[in-house]
Amino acid sequence: MIKAVIIDDERNSRDIIALMLEKYCPEVEIAATACDCADGIATIKQHQPQLVFLDLEMPDGTGFDVLMGTQEETPFEAVFVTAFEKKFLHTIRFSEVEIILKPIDRESLTAAVHTIKKRIITQASKDRYKVLLNNFISGRSISLNILVPLANGQDSTIAVNEITHLEAGAEKCTFHLLDGQQFQTERSFRYYADLFSTLRFYQVNNYQMVQLSQISQINPNTNKLSLKNGEKLEIAERRKKDLIGYWKQYK
Amino acid sequence: MIRIHILLLLFCYSIDVFGGMPTKDTLKADFGNLPSRIDLRPYLSSLEDNGGQLTLQQVLSSSFTRNDQLFHEQKKNSGKVHNCWLKLHVRNTGTKDSVLTLFAGWHDYMYWYAQDYSGNYHLLMTTGLMQDNANVERWEHYGFKVIVPPGQSRSFLLHITNKYYNENPLMPVLYNALQYGQFRNRQLEYYRKETVLIQVLLGMLLVCLCIAIINYIQLPDRSYLYFAAYMLGLILFFALRLESKPYQLSIFYHWPMLKYYWDIPALLFCFYLMYLSFGNAFLNLQERYPFMDKLFTTVAAFIGGIIIICFYCIAREQYQVPGMIYSYVYLATLLPLLAVFAALAKRSRHHPLVRFFLFGSLCFYMACFGSFLMLIRPLGLISALGEISAPSLLIILGVLLQSMFFLAGLSYRNKLVHHERTRTQELLIKQLNRNKELQHTLNEQLEELVKEQTTEILRKKQELDEQRKIQLETEYDKKLTEIELKAIRAQINPHFIFNCLNSIQLFVMQRDYEYAQKYLSDFSYLIRKTLDFSRRNFISLSDEIAYLSTYLGLEKMRFENKMEYEIIVDPAIATAELEIPAMLLQPYVENAVKYGMTNSDHPIGKLFIQFNQIESDMLECLVDDNGIGITRSKTMRTLPKHHQSSGMEISSNRAELLNKMYNTGIHIDIIDKSENNIGESGTIVRILIPQL
Repeated sequence: MIKAVIIDDERNSRDIIALMLEKYCPEVEIAATACDCADGIATIKQHQPQLVFLDLEMPDGTGFDVLMGTQEETPFEAVFVTAFEKKFLHTIRFSEVEIILKPIDRESLTAAVHTIKKRIITQASKDRYKVLLNNFISGRSISLNILVPLANGQDSTIAVNEITHLEAGAEKCTFHLLDGQQFQTERSFRYYADLFSTLRFYQVNNYQMVQLSQISQINPNTNKLSLKNGEKLEIAERRKKDLIGYWKQYK
Repeated sequence: MIRIHILLLLFCYSIDVFGGMPTKDTLKADFGNLPSRIDLRPYLSSLEDNGGQLTLQQVLSSSFTRNDQLFHEQKKNSGKVHNCWLKLHVRNTGTKDSVLTLFAGWHDYMYWYAQDYSGNYHLLMTTGLMQDNANVERWEHYGFKVIVPPGQSRSFLLHITNKYYNENPLMPVLYNALQYGQFRNRQLEYYRKETVLIQVLLGMLLVCLCIAIINYIQLPDRSYLYFAAYMLGLILFFALRLESKPYQLSIFYHWPMLKYYWDIPALLFCFYLMYLSFGNAFLNLQERYPFMDKLFTTVAAFIGGIIIICFYCIAREQYQVPGMIYSYVYLATLLPLLAVFAALAKRSRHHPLVRFFLFGSLCFYMACFGSFLMLIRPLGLISALGEISAPSLLIILGVLLQSMFFLAGLSYRNKLVHHERTRTQELLIKQLNRNKELQHTLNEQLEELVKEQTTEILRKKQELDEQRKIQLETEYDKKLTEIELKAIRAQINPHFIFNCLNSIQLFVMQRDYEYAQKYLSDFSYLIRKTLDFSRRNFISLSDEIAYLSTYLGLEKMRFENKMEYEIIVDPAIATAELEIPAMLLQPYVENAVKYGMTNSDHPIGKLFIQFNQIESDMLECLVDDNGIGITRSKTMRTLPKHHQSSGMEISSNRAELLNKMYNTGIHIDIIDKSENNIGESGTIVRILIPQL
C-alpha cells in the first residue's frame, strides 16, 4: 500500500481525487487531506506519506511551497494536480515530476500512480525534486536545469545553458552539449521541441533545434550556421529569415 | 666803232659762210663766237640700224641719209627698238679753239665717236639712262663735247639706242658752254617742277600707306593689306618715275631695268589686281554679292597672269607688248567697270561702304578717262593709252582722290566695326548687368523660395511625422489595446474553467445529476457569454450583472458556501440601456473571490457588488470584499517575482487601455479597507464609469 496525502484548497477536488483513487488505484491509501499550504505541511509532517497529491495554486501559496516546507522530512514522491499548468510548465516538465490535469481522467491517474509505484519500488533518486525546486526559485531566466530520462533508464541533470542543440533520432532526442557531450533521451524530439520553443531555442531544420546563444555565426549564402564550439549546422531555407531575425534580436 | 667793226666782221664771216659753198650737211660755225643754240637737224645725216648689228666700220662704210622724221621734240612712241647713228660734220670757221656741247636728249644708250685729225673715229663717251651708273653727275654726261680746231673740219658719230618703245625727245642741239649751262638750268627747273608734283604725291601716298598699316595693326583685316599693297605699288611706281627725271635725285639708277619692270605691270598690279582684291575684301563681296566676288576674283587672277606675261616680255626687252596689253585691258575694262559700278551702286543703299568705293573708283576712272581723252590728240590712240599712267596732273588727282576715298572708306569701315564692337560691347555689358541683376533677383527669390519651402517642408515633414507618429501610435495603441482587451476578456481564468469541470465531474461521479446539470448549464452559459463578450466592446449593464451573478453562483458552488455575495443595483439605473465596457468588472470580482476567502477572521467571504448612479452622468461600481486586503495579500504571496500572475496586472491597466480606446474616462480606485479603518479588512474596488 502506498500511503498518500491529498492537498487541495477545493473540497470538490480533494473528493474527486480520493474517489478516483479509491476506485481505480486501490493500492493507494489516503492517509489525510489538507486544504492549504500550511495545513499541507503540517499534515505531511504528521503522516510522513510516501505520496502527496499536490494542488499547484492555493490561497496561501503553491505546491512548491509545500515541498520547500517539507525538505527536512523523509523524501516523498509528489504528483501535482492542477487545472492549468501553463504557468509552471517548464518548472514541472524539466524536472520530470508527475502531473495530472483536472478534470482528472482515469488513465493519467493510473499511469501516474504506476510510475510512482515503480519509483518507490526501485527507490529511484529524488533528484527530480531538487531540480524542481531549483528551477522554481531561479525562474526561467538563467541556470534552469533539466532532468532527462536517458535511454539506459538513468536520469541525468543538464544545465540548459550548456545545451547547444537538440537532434532528432529514431523516436528519441539527443542533447548536444557545449563540451561535446551527447545524451540520448527516452523522450521524442517533438516533446522537447515544444518545450524549448519558448526558451530562445530555434528549430533550424526538421531534425535540429539550436540554442540561439550558442550560435557564433550565420552564413546566409551557404545556409549554414556555426556554433560556438565550431560545429556546423544546416539551416532550412524557409526558416533562415526568421532565424536571423531572432538571432539579431537576441544578440 | 667797235660795233661797226664787229658788224663788218660778221658780214665778212657770213660772206665766208655762204661764199664757201659748204656742203649742206656740214656745220660751219665759229666756235669762239657761236651766235645762239644751233638746231642741228639740218646738218645731221642718219643711219637707221634696225638690227642693231652694225659695227663702227660697217657704219662708216654705209651711206648716211638725211631724215627729219627721226627727230621729235616730244616723247614719241616708236613702238619698237630705235637704233640709229647720227653723223655730224663740223667746221670751225672761227679762230678760237672752243668747246661746244651737243645735246640730243635723254636716251638709253648713247655712244659718242669723234674723228681725229687722221680721220679715225674714236669712242669718246658712253652714256645713257640704262648704263650710266654715276650718281647725280650722270646727268651731265648727256652733253657731248664737240671740239674742232680752228679752221678744221671734224666728223662726229652719235649712236643712240632706245630699246623702250617710248622715246624721249630726240632733238640735237649745239650749245656753247654758256648756252649749255642755261639750257641745263632750264631743264633742271622744268623737271624740278615735275618731280615736286611726284614727290608731293609720294608723300601723300606714304601717309596713306602709313594710315593703312596703322589701321591694319589696330584691326587686322585683309582689305588694309590690299590697300597697303596698292599704295606701295603706286609709291614704287611713282618713285621709279623719278628715275627718268633728269637732274633729280633718284635712288634706283643702279637698276635701270626696274623702272620698266614696274611700269605697265605696276599699273596692272595697282589698278586692277590690288584694286579688285581690295574692293572684294573691303566690300565683303563674298557674303554680300557672291557673283561680284567671283567676278572680281576671276579678273584679278587673270590680271595676275597678265602681269607675269608682262614681266616675261620686259625680260625679253619687248617693251611695247606690255603697253599694248595694257591698252587692250584698259579698253576692254572700260565699259564693264562702269557696269560693275552701276551694279554696286544699286546695292549701295544697303551698304554705305560701297559709296566710298564707288566714289573713289569713279574719281580715278574719270581722271584716267579724261587723261586718255586729253592724250589722244597729241599722241594718238595707242600712245595715249600707254601714257595714261604718266603722272599727269589729272591722273595724280584721280589717284589721290581714290586713295582718299578708299582710306576714308576704310576709316568709316573701322568706325563701323568699332561702333559695332562698342555697341556689341555696350549691349553685352548691358546684358551682363541685366543678367547680373536678374541673377541677383533670381538668387534672392530662389533663396527666399528655398528658405520658405525648406521651412515649409520641414514644418510639413514635422507635422507629417507627428501625424504619422500619432496615427501610428494611435493605430498601434488601438490595435494593441484591442488585442489586449480581447486577451483580457478571453482570459477567464482557466483554473476556474477546469475546476468547474472538475466539480461537475465530481457531481457526476457522486451521481448528483441534478446538481451536475445545473452546474453544467450555468457553466455553459458563462462560457458562451465569455465567448460572446470577448467579441464585443460594450455590453449592457444588465448583461454584465447576469454574467457576474452566474459567475459568482458557480464560484459559490465551488467553494461550498464558503462565500456569500450580493449584487445591489440602484433602481434609478436603466440597466438594460446602460452600456459598459464588456468584462470590465469580471477580473476584480474574480480577485475579490480569490482573496475574499483567505481571511481567517471571516470564515465566510462576503462580496458586495453595487451599482450606483452617483451623478446624472456617472455610474459607480463597487466591488467590496472582506478578505485580507490587497496590501496583505501582496505580502502573502510567496511566489517568486517571475511567477506572478499577469492577470491582475493587466487588469489594473484596463482602465487606461479602455480610456485610450474609447475615450471613456473610466477611473478605477483600489482601496484597502485597513488603510482607512484599522479594525476592518478587505478591499474595495471603485470603478467610475462616465455615461456617454
